[in-house]
Amino acid sequence: MAIFQRNTKVKPALCRTGALAVSAALLRHKSAGAGMAIIWMLLVMALFAPWLSPHDPNEQDLYHVLQGPSRAHLLGTDDVGRDLLSRVLYGARISLIVGLLSTLTATVIGVFLGLVAGYKGGLIDGFIMRLTDTVMCIPGLILLLVMAAALGPGIHNIIIAISALGWTVFARITRGQVLMVRELPYVEAARAAGASGWRIMFQHLLPNSMAPLIVASSITVGGAIMLESAAAFLGLGVQPPTPSWGEALRVGYSYLEIVPLFSLAPGLMITLAVLAFNFLGDGLRDVLDPRLRGEGDKIK
Amino acid sequence: MKRYIAGRLLYTFVILFLVSILVFILARLLPGDPIQAAAMINMDLANQEIIQDLRIRFGLDRPLYVQYVIWLRDFISGDWGVSLGSGEAVFDMFFKRLPVTLELFAGSVFWSCLIGFPLGILSALRRNTWLDAMVTATAITGVSIPVFWEGIVLIYLFSVVFHWLPAAGFVPFAESPLGNFTSLLMPSFVMGTHGAGLFARYIRSSLLEVLGQDYIRTARAKGLSEKAVLIGHAAKPAMIPVVTVVGLAWGYVVAGSFIVEYMFAIPGLGRMGVDAVFLRDFPVIQATLIMTAVNVLLVNLLVDLIYGCLDPRIRIQ
Repeated sequence: MAIFQRNTKVKPALCRTGALAVSAALLRHKSAGAGMAIIWMLLVMALFAPWLSPHDPNEQDLYHVLQGPSRAHLLGTDDVGRDLLSRVLYGARISLIVGLLSTLTATVIGVFLGLVAGYKGGLIDGFIMRLTDTVMCIPGLILLLVMAAALGPGIHNIIIAISALGWTVFARITRGQVLMVRELPYVEAARAAGASGWRIMFQHLLPNSMAPLIVASSITVGGAIMLESAAAFLGLGVQPPTPSWGEALRVGYSYLEIVPLFSLAPGLMITLAVLAFNFLGDGLRDVLDPRLRGEGDKIK
Repeated sequence: MKRYIAGRLLYTFVILFLVSILVFILARLLPGDPIQAAAMINMDLANQEIIQDLRIRFGLDRPLYVQYVIWLRDFISGDWGVSLGSGEAVFDMFFKRLPVTLELFAGSVFWSCLIGFPLGILSALRRNTWLDAMVTATAITGVSIPVFWEGIVLIYLFSVVFHWLPAAGFVPFAESPLGNFTSLLMPSFVMGTHGAGLFARYIRSSLLEVLGQDYIRTARAKGLSEKAVLIGHAAKPAMIPVVTVVGLAWGYVVAGSFIVEYMFAIPGLGRMGVDAVFLRDFPVIQATLIMTAVNVLLVNLLVDLIYGCLDPRIRIQ
């Protein structure tokens, strides 16, 4: 039995040395390298915001509202006199938390449903995939707005709403991968060795679906950051006074003529964040699976 | 082919049915029921007795599945309810605003083609050169830039700094063709750049695939110029997958129009949807969600059918 299992066990798509090799290849990949550099920068901003910020992001100074860049406030101040640079630095937290957490939740739900659909087949498969199609045929932003309105404002509700939209991509990818490898000899061997359905799904089928899932995760993080800021821009995101890029953009937009940086700076950060994760995803696709090259836009 | 079409039609109807259930549930999840929402806007309704009376009249006291069936029946027969905000019939509202969004879409497809096609073809022909890398990076950037930021940058440049274009607002074509053109120039460009990125990437991969085929080698081998090979042999088959991109762009446009129409104050479907979400305007939200899904599904169906016609291999699967 033990020997049998050793023989049937699949080499994980990303073992330790594999991960190192992938990182090295990513660094050589120009756009992915740029993406990773930006992501590191965002992480540093989010983690060290209290030390990097010149001011308390929530400290109001009503005598100095809507000011342009100065030595005291490098990016100027917002409509209630808060330091814009500090708010932009702190804003990285919300974007990253929403982006990473909602992607993680979406991946877990999607992968689970995709594994079950692909492995079990039949009615269960039909049901899960029709559910996927149903959610997918309403554009994410619209569904997100309605859900945000239904659940009420707040960061956790935004994360729930984005996860509830994002899982479909992962379910589709996982199912497709499972269907591809389900009938291969090693899965049959595992079944013959008496492995349970769950064991086959998580030990044998999942590791072989990793490459496209990792690519999709990276792109989904970017998409989630974009969705969160879009919702915040429409006033349905995180509630003030929490510093958030989308919220700053929404308020700053009304003062575009007086203090352009108020909206342009947080907007640039959102763009950079989305761009970084998309570049990373593109690089990961090239590195992990050359066959998928150029098909990335279908994952959206 | 008949079986293929029948299968696609059946699938579309099943998904539509599921969408209607999803939308119905979502609308019920919104806090407060339609009568209460109406009461908030119109204070005459604040009386509890009247509210109860109205609940019975609108069938809100009945079990959920009965409400669903009634709602679906009404919806199919064109009775989409009355907007809680404006008191207008939602059906009329929808079709009054549709042309504006369609115009915006036409403009955005124009920009997508204008930018996306040359970039895609160029990067396929210069594969794996710095030019190709640049185009790919540009395409990803185009897809990644949030429409609201791109919009703000353009408004800042062209309205605030240069005063060339109006910052917001919409002028109907009948009123002033030129005003109509300038009022849609920026919003359609903002929406078009996202599509342009998609177009460029699809055309690149599709053209590369075609250029790798045997018959292209044959055409080259018999001494045709590269131009003749491209135009006479590669262009047509490479255009097939582009059908999908236009379909994708159309699905995106409705979502994109939510933000773009809100930013540029254009009275289209997107603006209607955003306002409805703000006001908790149930009937309008329901209609917007359903019609968005119908639209996406119909375009997908159309794309599949066109594909089936163009590529016999698909029909058989």
